[in-house]
Amino acid sequence: MATENISMTKSTSRFVLTLRGIWKGLQELAELIFASPTAVIGLVVVLAWVFVAIFAPLITTYSPLEQDYKNINQKPTAAHVLGTDNLGRDVWTRVAYGARTILSLGPISVFVAFLIGLALGLPAGYYQGWVDELIMRILDALMAFPTILLYMIIISAVGASPFNVVIAIAIGGAPGIARLVRALTMDIRTREYVAAAKLRGDSDIMIMLREILPNSRGPLIVDFLLRIGYAAFYIGTLGFLGLGLPPPTPDWGGMVQEGHGRMSANIWPVLSATMAIVTLVIGLNMFADGLREESMRYQ
Amino acid sequence: MARYIVRRLLTMLLTMILVSMLVFAIVEIAPGNVARNILGAYATPEQEASMSRQLGLTRPVSIRYISWLFGSDWQAKGEIGLPMAQIISEQGLVKNAREWWAVAPNGEHLQWTVEEGKLYKLVLLADGNTEKILDESSWKAGEDGDEYFWGVDTANRAAKWVKGSKDIEYRLDYSGWVESTGAPVEYIPLSKGLIRGDAGVSLRYQAPVSEVIGRRILNSFILAALAIVVSIPTAVILGLIAGLNEGKLIDRIISIGGLITAGSPDFATGILLIMVFAIWLKVLPGAAVFTSADALWKNPNLLVLPVLTASLVEIGYVLRITRSSVVEVMNSPYVRTAILKGLTYRQVVTRHVLRNAMMAPITVIMLHVNWFIGGLVVVESVFGYPGLGSFILNAALFKDVYSIEAGAMVLILLAVGTQLIADLIYSLVNPRIRYS
Amino acid sequence: MDDSSPILSVKNLAVTYKTRKRDIDAVRDVSFDIYRGENLGLVGESGCGKSTAAYSIVNFLGPNGRVKSGEILFKGEQLRNRSEADLRKLRGADISMVYQEPMSALNPSMQIRDQLAESLIAHRGFNQKDAFAESLEALRKVYMPDAEGVMQRYPHQLSGGQQQRVLIAMAMLNNPSLLIMDEPTTALDVTVEAAVLDLIAELQKKYNTATLYISHNLGVVARVSDKVAVMYAGEIVELAPTREIFHNPMHPYTMGLMRCLPDVDAPKGTRTLHPIEGRVPSPANLPAGCIFAPRCQHAEPECLAGHPHLKEISPGHQVRCFRAWDWTAVKENWKTEDLVPLKESCPDRNGNTEENVLNVKNAKVYYPVPFKTVGGLFGMEKRSYVRASDDVSFSVKRGRTLGIVGESGCGKSTIAKAIVGLEPLFGGQIDFLNVDVSKPLNKRGIDTIRDLQMVFQDPNGVLNPSYSVGDQIAFSLRRFGTVPPDQIRAEVERLLQAVKLDESYYNRLPRQLSGGEKQRVGIARAISTNPAMVVCDEPVSALDVSVQAAVLNLLLEIQNTRNTTMILISHDLSSVRFFADEVAVMYLGHIMEIGSCESIFQPPNHPYTTALLAAVPRADPDAPHSNIRLSGHVPSAVKPPSGCKFNTRCPFKIGAICEQEEPSKRDMGAGHLIYCHLTPEDLKNKII
Repeated sequence: MATENISMTKSTSRFVLTLRGIWKGLQELAELIFASPTAVIGLVVVLAWVFVAIFAPLITTYSPLEQDYKNINQKPTAAHVLGTDNLGRDVWTRVAYGARTILSLGPISVFVAFLIGLALGLPAGYYQGWVDELIMRILDALMAFPTILLYMIIISAVGASPFNVVIAIAIGGAPGIARLVRALTMDIRTREYVAAAKLRGDSDIMIMLREILPNSRGPLIVDFLLRIGYAAFYIGTLGFLGLGLPPPTPDWGGMVQEGHGRMSANIWPVLSATMAIVTLVIGLNMFADGLREESMRYQ
Repeated sequence: MARYIVRRLLTMLLTMILVSMLVFAIVEIAPGNVARNILGAYATPEQEASMSRQLGLTRPVSIRYISWLFGSDWQAKGEIGLPMAQIISEQGLVKNAREWWAVAPNGEHLQWTVEEGKLYKLVLLADGNTEKILDESSWKAGEDGDEYFWGVDTANRAAKWVKGSKDIEYRLDYSGWVESTGAPVEYIPLSKGLIRGDAGVSLRYQAPVSEVIGRRILNSFILAALAIVVSIPTAVILGLIAGLNEGKLIDRIISIGGLITAGSPDFATGILLIMVFAIWLKVLPGAAVFTSADALWKNPNLLVLPVLTASLVEIGYVLRITRSSVVEVMNSPYVRTAILKGLTYRQVVTRHVLRNAMMAPITVIMLHVNWFIGGLVVVESVFGYPGLGSFILNAALFKDVYSIEAGAMVLILLAVGTQLIADLIYSLVNPRIRYS
Repeated sequence: MDDSSPILSVKNLAVTYKTRKRDIDAVRDVSFDIYRGENLGLVGESGCGKSTAAYSIVNFLGPNGRVKSGEILFKGEQLRNRSEADLRKLRGADISMVYQEPMSALNPSMQIRDQLAESLIAHRGFNQKDAFAESLEALRKVYMPDAEGVMQRYPHQLSGGQQQRVLIAMAMLNNPSLLIMDEPTTALDVTVEAAVLDLIAELQKKYNTATLYISHNLGVVARVSDKVAVMYAGEIVELAPTREIFHNPMHPYTMGLMRCLPDVDAPKGTRTLHPIEGRVPSPANLPAGCIFAPRCQHAEPECLAGHPHLKEISPGHQVRCFRAWDWTAVKENWKTEDLVPLKESCPDRNGNTEENVLNVKNAKVYYPVPFKTVGGLFGMEKRSYVRASDDVSFSVKRGRTLGIVGESGCGKSTIAKAIVGLEPLFGGQIDFLNVDVSKPLNKRGIDTIRDLQMVFQDPNGVLNPSYSVGDQIAFSLRRFGTVPPDQIRAEVERLLQAVKLDESYYNRLPRQLSGGEKQRVGIARAISTNPAMVVCDEPVSALDVSVQAAVLNLLLEIQNTRNTTMILISHDLSSVRFFADEVAVMYLGHIMEIGSCESIFQPPNHPYTTALLAAVPRADPDAPHSNIRLSGHVPSAVKPPSGCKFNTRCPFKIGAICEQEEPSKRDMGAGHLIYCHLTPEDLKNKII
């Protein structure tokens, strides 16, 4: 009974500690963002797309798959603000729903990539020696692939589907993350507070999770944001190459791919989807980049 | 220094071995059977099983990997007992097809076939035709009492026939499925292996991959070289201007421009350029489809937009790296020393800033080679440019496994090789590495 | 231009920096003169504006800084508001500088000869050949060994001392009238520092250059300066001739700086240190009135109200203090006051138990060198090792402190880490409380880990930035179950009190703490488990002097109240003298000499110890200084020299025997061991 109580207080205090830590972290992040005009502009653009993605059904009047053979290849009109494509689908609706695709698959794939990257990078940087050597050689080999090539052969082997796109992007991103985590770990493991943790007999896993991981969060958060930009970049590119989501899923890259042969006849689907991906990726980049520069300035 | 180079070469070799394993694993062992990819969805299980055997897919993975990389003719030689030769044939449906023959001690080129249970020897004649001779005496006694024979069949495979076998071989011909009984029980598809320049026959082009790929590599090389020649100097100069004017208006303009061009996906940049220059202004061709092999020389305009697209992304990236490196060097203590030595601004920049500020970009550009090459794949596909990238993409879309494998290996070898060269340049520029 | 007018005259200088919020005056009302051949030392703790003042002379203040008011007269000419082109003609020619970090002050990708020659080419229009010849001559003037070779080398191929000589040669190339030296020896080891200081003093005499010498180290300034200006929070608080300021300091801050220094000649227990309470105010947040008043023991109401000006109280002696005149009585015994033994009674050091808490026998810590050839990977190359600590033996008695001294790279920190288990032992044995602990941490019992704790060097690395102070101490308490969980908070607060921090620190994050405070939390964490032994690895070397004193006092108090056994690793002989009962002197991984503090600090001792002692800069301009200097630099620990490890640099080397035979230990009695071939007689009267 008594021991139960103790563990209760322990876990609650741990919980409060993490909550407080997260709140503090968020506050710091907000301060950083608002110190950098670049980051603010980027954030506004990204939030605009997030808004479009969340409220897509409310701000469009058609369904993204609804075809209308009477109104194909229309120029923008009041009824179709960005015109229609060669199947008579409303371009604005497809762009809005396309935002859902890219904004959900992007973060998910980066998250998966981070899980893999952390699992490889932490032990490599912490133990060094042969563990490091083994992990690094495999990562080197993976990084020797031009990313697009890796995606192409993975997708051609396993087929195009949202799940496979996530897997491909996670595999492509994980080596870079693992290297970053490894470098941060190698730096932090020499800090004296890590030695202090060893001197209270903490286990290696405990040290990696309690001492090293929290203190590498700054660069990791920035990297996470940057990588969401890259993921959006690659999801668009895969779609364009015909390796993304199978049609008729609304997907920006796919829209460019479908329309790009017919551009001289109807420029609107291609132009809209292109501008959508460009603004989103640049918005994400500006946000992450502004944040990085601002956080560097603090050091 | 020499030691350093050797070390780097060996790491590169190790990386390439691992890469080849990965490529092989992803393409050939991943879910999705190669035989089924070739046959399509309507093949019967028997047809698929036969095809798998013929392609050697039933052999152990390690043996297949080794055959892919180093060839299988020497394995076949061990079984047949005669040396193998690959000759180019003018006949047949496939142009310049490479055919495998066994070479008898008397210099005759031989193939075998089993028809209605009888073994025939095919002897290559000087005019390219063959003479078919009954060769029943060549059956050998196996350990389990069966009579068997190892030889080269007519489809470039070493094959093991067993006398009296009722196995059926299904072959997909231009006319459809062809069935023949008395099929071999074991096949070794013959090839010299990737390393010896034989990457197999493209399922899509029905021609040796190595032959198709050569021209593509050259085309891609032209595109890449032009893009690099355009982008790197531009980027370095812009980055230098921005970095030396840190915080001023010109720096802001260049930096934001760099952010935009580096951030936009290559295909989007390409599409926007086509819209402006090909559709709106109509001054440049929007596609780079070659009508003849020397189209490039006849109409260099074809190259303008692809090169521009590939360059813009690279310019944005490199200029940002250069800029931050220049800013860092400008704030370094040794530049302070140089200024307080009484050197003019120009002297400080040319003597102290330039060289040191170039070191960081070299390493980063080196790591960026892969990105650049990936970008080329996209640019080629935007413009329909017949380069290595679009070759691999089409192979991937068509599931043309041998083309994917060969293309991927060539592309990675180029990427890794470029990195090695950049690495060596870096070690020449940086005295810390040169003298250690 | 005659010698009676100053080369440099700074009058009421104020420098301001633009920040995001507002302008901050980093330097205010600074005035001083430097005459031909004169060396003015500018001293003060970090962040007090010394470097800013110096860089404002050459108008190199970065994009955000500017001289706000005041005059800078160089040879009678105003330097303020001069064009860059005008200043350029002076910089590196008539005014030149030497910098703190010689490695980063030199261009890494340029040969030394080019870096030297370009100054001659730019200012005197030399052609390259003449410039190289002149540069070589300049290197010879600074006694650069192998000057011809050095000309062709790159900075990373030189040792720190050589790099600093290059910078000095570069500064002297055009025979400047004014030389500004910004902490030129701070990054160097003490023996190298001593040699560079000799060089500076000699050049000063030879060329009669006016010098502005910036340092945080009073001992260094006492050695080279004719006049000393003490800066505090952007203002000069006292300016006087060197002897005057050291013997008759008038400003409480100056006195405080001198009283907080441990004295290398005062044995343990004979005196306590007087830290200056509080910390230097940031220039953004200055107190009204006298800027030192909040930390001044003698402050009166008037000090908090008005801002004192610099006033001359005797010829050449200026003080910025309202009370400099009326407290001669307080001042009388400013140095001798409290020179009595410690407030807490010191445990009887002679009659203490003879029980050895720690026994180290032939401990070796080697690190494998990465293979250089490919063959190495396949066992074709003989593995070589960095012999960080080689054959080290000593023991520590309960309640005592063993000091381990030596220059950087001598292996003192390595052996400390091996003792607590942070580095694996390559050979030898370590017994702690009669338990064999020659194994890494994860193989040691939890009791051993608890009983053997460590205090670290870097205040910024000692605490995990992600957790509050209280949490970090509580981690230990929880891990070892020192107190029941419901008493953890109370126990942490008790520990904070023990290190003189109040309980409000419990919830603070490390970044809200000053360096000294972080170090105290580190000490609280180390003693939270009530360990039998604490290993202190350079606990004060990264702290400002006024804070060092407080931390050293704290460690001494902890030892006295808890009877904790300690090891003090330090490169600073003065703090070792203050805190250690026994001392081991290490060089290149080997112990050169070990014995009681008293026996080590005076002859007969090891030649290396003699050189170390001779090199310590003493905060007394009249201290006799020895001319024993070490030449060359520390050999590689991968291929240490044969015979005596010190033979390549020993000023008393007797001959071949030193190179061939490793000296056996010479027992000088009472546990004093010296590893040297010299006879006890020679060890006593060392003559070069």
